[in-house]
Amino acid sequence: MGVWEPLFFWLFAVGAVATSVGVLFIKNPLYAALSLIGDFLCFAGLYVLLSAHFLAVTQVLVYTGAIMILFVFIIMLLNLNEQELGERQFRLHHILAYLTAGIVFALAVSAIAPLVDQQQVATERQRVQQQAQNADGDEASEGFRVESPVPGLYAAVNEPAINRDFRAQIQSWEDGTATPADEKYRTYDPDRSFEVPPVLRASEAQAQGGTSSMFGTVEPISILLVNRFVVPFELIAVLLLAAIFGAVVIAKKRL
Amino acid sequence: MSWQPTLAHYLILAAGTFSIGLIGVMVRRNALILFMCIELMLNSVNLTFITFSQYRVDLDGQIFGFIVMAVAAAEAAVGLAIVLHIFRQNRSVNVDEVTELQQ
Repeated sequence: MGVWEPLFFWLFAVGAVATSVGVLFIKNPLYAALSLIGDFLCFAGLYVLLSAHFLAVTQVLVYTGAIMILFVFIIMLLNLNEQELGERQFRLHHILAYLTAGIVFALAVSAIAPLVDQQQVATERQRVQQQAQNADGDEASEGFRVESPVPGLYAAVNEPAINRDFRAQIQSWEDGTATPADEKYRTYDPDRSFEVPPVLRASEAQAQGGTSSMFGTVEPISILLVNRFVVPFELIAVLLLAAIFGAVVIAKKRL
Repeated sequence: MSWQPTLAHYLILAAGTFSIGLIGVMVRRNALILFMCIELMLNSVNLTFITFSQYRVDLDGQIFGFIVMAVAAAEAAVGLAIVLHIFRQNRSVNVDEVTELQQ
């Protein structure tokens, strides 16, 4: 942890929000595109903080390197004048737009907000444990009851008692004796040590960070892509080929 | 609320940038900026996927983020070709003036 993670998080978070607002309000599309490039770079920084190293590099290569270059090319190719840009006078439906986005944001925050309150998370966990223990004593009848947060929205689910193995597994994750990633990536050796360059080796605890040190690097992701996710991976190839043909056919003056 | 970033910080940041992109899609009338705002929304969703991926120590979310990036690349290529075509026909990239299908 230390002081660097919050520092970089707030730097990238403020940068991301500021450049997003820039995209929203800048009139000249070229400057909006530059603002969006800054936004994508901030997101890449956040991905590094989330130990998604491969995706951070992909973000810089694909988004800022390929997609945004395409945007800037098109903007320069069209060479739009003031009138062709499309005027942006204030209209009544803009209020509705801001209102809708505000409601979406409020709904999202109301769903996320309980996570901020650590006290409530602790009590909720205790309640679930209590229910699970009750289910232990009275296995068949009581069960694990999940109440609807909004009364009448959907029926309360009365599942049969969760089996003991699953609870033991959850408990082991809580204790730290096991992680959810265990037994998932059999094809690569978790014991293999990952050599961090000396400059980056801040501390042993930081390098581990609660996750496997290989987490999010090229190797485990490539193993997943060619094993479990091989069909989506191949479908991406087909989709990109179709997109190439589509772009050429649509943009051509006449076939 | 401490300065230390937690799960909720990342999720609220993603929700905020998503909402900003949503406002952009509804308010801006320049087709190019519209596409930029859609890219912004895709990126926010990606951030949510990656946050949960790190939170659950499960790489599936990152794979999904990778797939979203590939789809965004395909969408940008085709979308910009459409913008080019619209500009050739209307001499404008204002989406309010694209009304051929209404007639």
